Amino acid sequence: MTAIHLEGLVKRFGDFTALRAMDLEIRDGEFMALLGPSGCGKSTTMNMIAGMEAPTQGRILFDDRDMASVPMGQRGVGFVFQNYAIFTHMTVRQNLAYGLKMRGMPRAEIDKRVGAVAELLQLTSLLDRPSAKLSVNILQRLAIGRSAIIEPAIFLLDEPLSNVDAAFRAVMRTELRHLQHAFRQTMVYVTHDQLEAMTMADRIAVMDHGVLQQVGTPLEVYNNPANVFVARFIGSPGMNLLKGRLADSDRGPVVDLGQLGATPPLPDALAAAARTAGAEEVFYCFRPEEISIAREGRGLAMPVTFVERIGARTIVHLGEGEETAKAVFDNDVGLSAGETAVISANEETVRLFDAASGQAIGSA
Amino acid sequence: MTRSPAFEIFRYTVILLALSVTLIPTLWMTSMAFKPIPEWSASGADLTWWPNEPTLDNFRFIFGESSSELIVALDRTAGKPILASLLSAVFGTLIAMISGTSAAYGLSRFGAGQSLPLALTQLRLFPPLAVMIPVMIMWAFLGLTDTWWGLALVYGIVTLPFAFWLMKTFFDDMPYEIEEAALVEGCSRFRVFMRVTLPMMRAPLASSALFVFILNWSDYLIALLLTTREWVTIPVYMASLSSSMTGQLYGAKAALGLIAAVPPVILGIAIQRHLVRGLTFGALKQ
Amino acid sequence: MVVVDAAGGGGRQDEESRRLGFALTVPAQMLVLFIAAFPLLMQAYISLTDWSPLDGIGWWRAWELWNGFANYSDLATDNRFWGALGRTIIVMAICVPAEFLLGFGLAILFTGNFVGRRFFYSVLLMPMMVVPAVAGYMFFMLFQSGGPVNDILSAIIGSPVQIAWLSDPDLALFAVIASDIWQWTPLMFLILLAGLLGVPEDQLKAATLLGASWWQRFVTIVLPRMKTIIVIALAIRVIENFKVFDTFYIMTGGGPGVATETISIFIYKVTTQELVWGYVAAIGLTILIVLSVVAGVAIKYMSAQRREA
Repeated sequence: MTAIHLEGLVKRFGDFTALRAMDLEIRDGEFMALLGPSGCGKSTTMNMIAGMEAPTQGRILFDDRDMASVPMGQRGVGFVFQNYAIFTHMTVRQNLAYGLKMRGMPRAEIDKRVGAVAELLQLTSLLDRPSAKLSVNILQRLAIGRSAIIEPAIFLLDEPLSNVDAAFRAVMRTELRHLQHAFRQTMVYVTHDQLEAMTMADRIAVMDHGVLQQVGTPLEVYNNPANVFVARFIGSPGMNLLKGRLADSDRGPVVDLGQLGATPPLPDALAAAARTAGAEEVFYCFRPEEISIAREGRGLAMPVTFVERIGARTIVHLGEGEETAKAVFDNDVGLSAGETAVISANEETVRLFDAASGQAIGSA
Repeated sequence: MTRSPAFEIFRYTVILLALSVTLIPTLWMTSMAFKPIPEWSASGADLTWWPNEPTLDNFRFIFGESSSELIVALDRTAGKPILASLLSAVFGTLIAMISGTSAAYGLSRFGAGQSLPLALTQLRLFPPLAVMIPVMIMWAFLGLTDTWWGLALVYGIVTLPFAFWLMKTFFDDMPYEIEEAALVEGCSRFRVFMRVTLPMMRAPLASSALFVFILNWSDYLIALLLTTREWVTIPVYMASLSSSMTGQLYGAKAALGLIAAVPPVILGIAIQRHLVRGLTFGALKQ
Repeated sequence: MVVVDAAGGGGRQDEESRRLGFALTVPAQMLVLFIAAFPLLMQAYISLTDWSPLDGIGWWRAWELWNGFANYSDLATDNRFWGALGRTIIVMAICVPAEFLLGFGLAILFTGNFVGRRFFYSVLLMPMMVVPAVAGYMFFMLFQSGGPVNDILSAIIGSPVQIAWLSDPDLALFAVIASDIWQWTPLMFLILLAGLLGVPEDQLKAATLLGASWWQRFVTIVLPRMKTIIVIALAIRVIENFKVFDTFYIMTGGGPGVATETISIFIYKVTTQELVWGYVAAIGLTILIVLSVVAGVAIKYMSAQRREA
């Protein structure tokens, strides 16, 4: 049971900066997901926590202990590789026992612990099978068991589901969550799949281009994205962003959406925050799920370009060129391409971002 | 993974040591090749590592130019042995490559000649000396002894296993779909082999041919047994470069050795990528 | 890494491809027959006679000198043959392990990246590309009593060293072994490095994270993964080393006396100096049979191992 502190972590490979000044606190027993597109620095961060790579600058602390001088074999880190890195020339039992054997533990004790872990992971009947030809969910369990058996202080998982076909991922996600509850360990989970991060993590650290964008619970990140990147990245589809200017009207503060010819109203608090921040150009943002739609009336009139019906949900693609939006509904909306729809966002879920800095304005 | 400075120092020390052990014999021969006679042999203290008066006399000597210092005259020059080595190695390579490539294709694509892999592996396993008696008798009978073409024929057979195995692994690696597409176009299988497969395999063919050439060029024993005078190859000729009057003609031998050593070293570096495949009969690829 | 036979032909086995496949293998089959089948019969025939090219009668009339299995029984009691065989095995027992260990050690140093890696790699491979006869001559020069080896030793010891390497029976064996190790360690290095680089990086990292030391990783991950490659490398060198001739013959001619006379040099000398070809044929055939049996057993053993794995 260990907390991890990353302080001003920087990693450069030659001229390329993979990670810029990362500060992050991962709490004891927490399931933290590092989420971001490929090349965002999440794997580099993970590798540095494990000790596979040394930071260019900054410190890594496990509780209060600086890890700089601790080699990877002694950090007490369990690591599940993307391809699981199972020792395929060994049996399941030999794989599980590996860490204990390397520590020179007596045979009887090893057998006992292997038995216990195998029981927990439902591997008992497979113990003496060669590990070369196991199915992928058993490989995952074996990889976790092999790391868990040395009772690591923290667990690192490097996109363990990326080689699994989509249908099976849901099963594996559930299984992983169960395992985390069983081991109650600090876990850091690297992924580019927001669904995995949202469903499993206690908190999510969103990263892009080597910069930590936001840290928060799945709902925080979803509801209050800290900047434009997070707003676009989280959610599927991500938030709608429309460029506009702050303005006043007889109805109170509004956003002038320019060529869309609409001036949706703003909640007072948000308008006040925007004024304090001195923002002029803003992004007017709202979730595709938080939209009401009609054929006419007040709101944003946009042409329907495409209607995607994917079973339970319908996604309506609106607008052309720069100004586009998507709307998601649980039922069919009876619209089709070529028609014009009038949408209005649920006012409480509207967010504003400074168009110059990309940062969120105010917080709800 | 984690490299300490101490490890780096150790690594460079060992590698530099290995490097000097590797280079000293070669450099010594190079140095000898450019030494004038007085520096050829020396006792103890006055051994010169680098020629004091570098000269090309040794090279001139083996090509028949008389030298004031060497009283002995060669009854023949190095020209013909070099030609013999070249002709026998080149044509031996051709024989091995043509028969080996076509057989490899036949087996890889059509499953023909199932007995060849084992037979050819055995051919590589046996010491040539154990089977040379009948070959020597046959060659004498056919008038092939002491001819470059007779030598080339033996070379072609001896290196056939290498050509076959190398090309077989290359064909096995090659996707069949491309040929299939040409077949659908209506080409005959033979035409596909000649016009589609072989042109696509140009690079592997070149590497394999160079590999086989190096092996042929490197032979000493077979030439020693099958050539006597007219068509002796470089190594055989080199061994004969001594006379009762002067003893070993060190510098001349070194000069010839250098000429013999340079081509395979250069070619070997050129095909470095395929060396593992060639040496292990294609069992390993780099 | 071991090649799986793709046997691509499976697709369409029509008459055309069957005929073309046969035609393509004809040249190779002919060459094999030419060097194997007919000569082997001839060799078997001559080995049962006392024929020599000096007898003035054609080999086909060798039956006039029929002596049954006398050549074979002579072989059993030929001390020079057994001596040469023993020497060949001693040389092999020293050269192959030395080349393996040195090559493996170097290969381990070449994992990971460092400045000059490509250059060092190319240079270290050079000896195996040198024509063996030329390598023999290089070492012949090195070990002259006025040569560089003694010069280096003199410099180390500080007083003149005049060792006659190649005319002392024990030292001559040492010198020819040194030449073999020089020339063929690079081959071990080359093959074993290819094998080392094929060990999955992730597995090594996983083992490290599980607390394995360098040595533990080497024993539990690297060696088991390289088993096939190690066997192949050793087999190649054992086979080649058994045949060794060029370097040894040029350095010492098998001498002094018979101090460096390996099996190949022995056969060569009997062939060219004593000219008792009936006897040579018997030796050759015996070696062929013994090697075939050994190889057959080895292949059977290895394929059994592979089936288990």
